[in-house]
Amino acid sequence: MSSNTPPTNIPKAEAGREDRAARAAGRNSGLGRIIIAVYGVFALSSTARAGYQVLTEFEQAPLAYTLSAFAAVVYIVATLALASKKPGSWAVSLAAVLIELAGVLVVGILGLLIPEHFAHPAVWTQFGSGYGYVPLLLPLVGLWWLYRHRP
Amino acid sequence: MIVDGYFIAGAIVCALALILGVVAAVIRDHPDDYALLAVAAVELALVVYAVAAAVRQAGGEAVSGEPWEFWGYVITALLIPPIAFWWAVTDKTRWSNVVLAAAGITVFVMLYRMEQIWDGALPA
Repeated sequence: MSSNTPPTNIPKAEAGREDRAARAAGRNSGLGRIIIAVYGVFALSSTARAGYQVLTEFEQAPLAYTLSAFAAVVYIVATLALASKKPGSWAVSLAAVLIELAGVLVVGILGLLIPEHFAHPAVWTQFGSGYGYVPLLLPLVGLWWLYRHRP
Repeated sequence: MIVDGYFIAGAIVCALALILGVVAAVIRDHPDDYALLAVAAVELALVVYAVAAAVRQAGGEAVSGEPWEFWGYVITALLIPPIAFWWAVTDKTRWSNVVLAAAGITVFVMLYRMEQIWDGALPA
């Protein structure tokens, strides 16, 4: 029977490399594209909201609104990096998603410890409860997706 | 006030798109033809709804809420099925069926809001 098996010219190591290339290429399609779209929506809405807050009522809660503006920048970077096919984009995506996860956790905890500085809601307030906790779930899904599609 | 027949018809088409999209996501690894057709039907239902609304409102039928808000929803809802369709054509994976299903439920929520604005018959 072994004589009937077609000869395979591809060594195992090379096949593994092709696997990895396919995995990295699939980062921008399928579920990845849905994740990028959700990041894009958050980038747009958090930028609009933070811009409005900083321009009109910044002195009411400077700390919360500075973090709100920071969150908007993180979402913009994450969206662009996740959508990009350039070699370094995976690492930038990972950094942005990790910062986002840290941000939503830190702002959520600070809101519990010093609520007087976080009375004015923004995207990461109360672990993102104003947005259905999507800001908390999104980086977890993002990390899992990046791990599945690591270069 | 009795809930509008156009709304009920639109809601049924949206439900169909949602169900076909979810089923297709489970059994297909590419965008399903019937899920695509269902989303096209959602667009058709929206066009009929918009034309009927324009005729009735031009004929002097009152809107209980803000007309500009109503038409804002109509125009935004009309954009959703073409975007979902384009998505499925350009990304031939299982996940496009999820996007088609999401288009169905999104348009349903917007139809619900339109109906609320129009006659106030539905609970908020």
